[in-house]
Amino acid sequence: VTAPAREMTASRPLVHATDADRYFDYCLQPYDPLRDPRGKLRSESLLWNSLDTAGAPPSLDDALRAVQRTAGRDMTVIGVKHQAGRLWWELYFYDRLKEDPAVRAASIIDAVAPWFRIVPRPRETVPYFMFSFDVLPETAEGGTVDVVNLYLPYFEVQGGRSYKLSAERLEMDNVYRFLHPKTEIRQIVHDIRQSVFVDYSRVLLSRVLLPELIDCNRICVAKKRFADAVYYSGIDVGQLAYFLTRLDYPAPIVDFIEAHRGRLDHLRFDVGIDYAMRADGSVAMTKSSYYCTL
Amino acid sequence: MSQSALRDQVHPTRFRDLAVTVDFHCHSACTFCIVQEGMNNYRGVPFERFVAIVEENLRSRKYDRVVFTGGEVTLEKSLLDFVVHARTSGAFRHVRLQTNGRKLADPDFTRTLVDAGIDEFFVSLHGDTAALHDAITQRPGSFDELIRGLANLATHPVRRMTNTVVHRTNMAAFEGIVEIAHAHGVSEMDFWNYLPMEDHNDELNLIAPLGEAMPSLRRALDRCAAVGIRAVTKYVPRCLLGAHGATLDNSQPDTIIVETFWNEFPRFACLYESLCEHSDECLGLSHDYVRKFGWEEDRLVPEPRTRPWQPRLRSVDGRPDETASERDAPRGYPAWEALLAGLPAEVGHLVRVQLTRNQARYTLAVPQGGATVELVLAARDESARVLARTASFNLFYTQVNGSYERADMERLLRAACERITAHDDGSLSLDSRKGLVQLPRQGKERPAVV
Repeated sequence: VTAPAREMTASRPLVHATDADRYFDYCLQPYDPLRDPRGKLRSESLLWNSLDTAGAPPSLDDALRAVQRTAGRDMTVIGVKHQAGRLWWELYFYDRLKEDPAVRAASIIDAVAPWFRIVPRPRETVPYFMFSFDVLPETAEGGTVDVVNLYLPYFEVQGGRSYKLSAERLEMDNVYRFLHPKTEIRQIVHDIRQSVFVDYSRVLLSRVLLPELIDCNRICVAKKRFADAVYYSGIDVGQLAYFLTRLDYPAPIVDFIEAHRGRLDHLRFDVGIDYAMRADGSVAMTKSSYYCTL
Repeated sequence: MSQSALRDQVHPTRFRDLAVTVDFHCHSACTFCIVQEGMNNYRGVPFERFVAIVEENLRSRKYDRVVFTGGEVTLEKSLLDFVVHARTSGAFRHVRLQTNGRKLADPDFTRTLVDAGIDEFFVSLHGDTAALHDAITQRPGSFDELIRGLANLATHPVRRMTNTVVHRTNMAAFEGIVEIAHAHGVSEMDFWNYLPMEDHNDELNLIAPLGEAMPSLRRALDRCAAVGIRAVTKYVPRCLLGAHGATLDNSQPDTIIVETFWNEFPRFACLYESLCEHSDECLGLSHDYVRKFGWEEDRLVPEPRTRPWQPRLRSVDGRPDETASERDAPRGYPAWEALLAGLPAEVGHLVRVQLTRNQARYTLAVPQGGATVELVLAARDESARVLARTASFNLFYTQVNGSYERADMERLLRAACERITAHDDGSLSLDSRKGLVQLPRQGKERPAVV
């Protein structure tokens, strides 16, 4: 551990890797760790660091631990979301084959009920393979979650469509697909350029398809209601550090990654960037996220 | 990034060359200098270390050529010691000096270097006029000194080469530079595209936009071909070299230099890496270039591949610099690998372990022929039909690939099951809730081992 790491004053302890750990990307697809994990950190350490950074109360830890107990260790994908200096978290639960009642919405809603109320209850006949919801730093203090996101698959294409479900309405939110960054680059470029938010006669493609991150396992191109987005999965800790710096994450998060780089280098990470063009032709990176499993 | 990891980005055709950085001072101040911040801070290689390198090369004969470089190597007082030792030891066929050429203006100094054993001079020529060259080196008179140096070299039986850094300031001058080199008997000209090592945002505005630089460079390469000068290009996309694609040589010699030098070495990418026949030797564009000028997705023209594409190792994946002990150490799942400890090599070996949501999958290979099988561990379930059952797991196999002798495969699976049974002390477990535990198919050709 580097000296800066020792000096960091985090209220939440580091979580170390164990022999029982499994390694999943943000699609809950397994990957082989890049290094011997012994003595290194679990990816959930990123979550606890972000809770520290956001000043989240301990009640949120308790709620998240309850989620972990219910869904199973390593079975919850957490997206740490960052927008204009604000941090929050999106929790994703996968159950492609509808085989595990523990990660269906009803189960998770019950698990977090002591801390917050999830209002929408998805109809289980909806063929969703994943659902997610956001939690804010204060959500676990008796708050409510008013929107649940449902994800439906394509036929033989890795990707999907997401819908926002609230008490008032169910509306389509975005479409996305995953592509190989090398062999499917023409499709990636095509999908990115098919945009109503960015005028690529004025904007270099490299403003949104970043050379530092393109060396990854999968690229996901998403079309959202108010922005486009590109996600990079399977990046290494050096690329994660670059991403966090480039996207202006709070210093305690950047410093945490730098300080513990040697204890995170067995992991792969996933990141995403929402963007749109400003009137002056520059690109605004409006929202971003990085992911870990709990 | 380590030097070895860098090799993954470059084409290893010159790895019989060894570059030794003798000195880190310079009396020029080239605008594009890639070690400006390191100058006067980096240390040259101590003579004692070079002696050890020579000894090693006398044994291994790994390197044919030693290249003395810097900084400006001719400023180093002990340079002759290095040169004489390189030559008299007999460890190298060629001894090359990489220099800005200014001190070669002194005929006595040049003769001394030649007499000491240098047979190749690689000098920097960045402009086709004194005004341009001196503006780049920021030292008035440096062009004239270089030209006198080239004239001095012409009186000796040595190989003369030039190096031109392609950047915005000189991108209209390449043809004229060829004419000067040709007039002085140069036999090889290198054109290296500028790579920022420190100014990654190109605040000095030195990166040449390829749409403007490449037509000029192609004309210069035409001229080289016409007058019989061998040309070498570096760090430019091969598809932009036109008929001169074969001049591209992105190889790097092994370099003895402070390791931190490589931390800032540029990274490269090309959108068409997997599509282009030449992506093995072409690096594409530096990240700094892409940030400034874009991917050039409409300018680059990949030549369709005739061979399957193989991904380059990423620095974190392949660890080409890792030691033998690191290579042999457990990778991702040491505790799971330990379940198989003691598997006799004559029976087979473990290729990898993968953990999925509810299974541990062991890819095993028989010793002969390379056939593989996946031995799958799932949570113990008394109701499932299995190949074997340990304290914690059900074992079955799947994905038998390649040709094998049935007896060999049975022996491998039996031995693997025995090892796992012996080592399963209950400390590892698998999630029993998800997934369907598959049963082995009952094909006649498949070995039955239980």
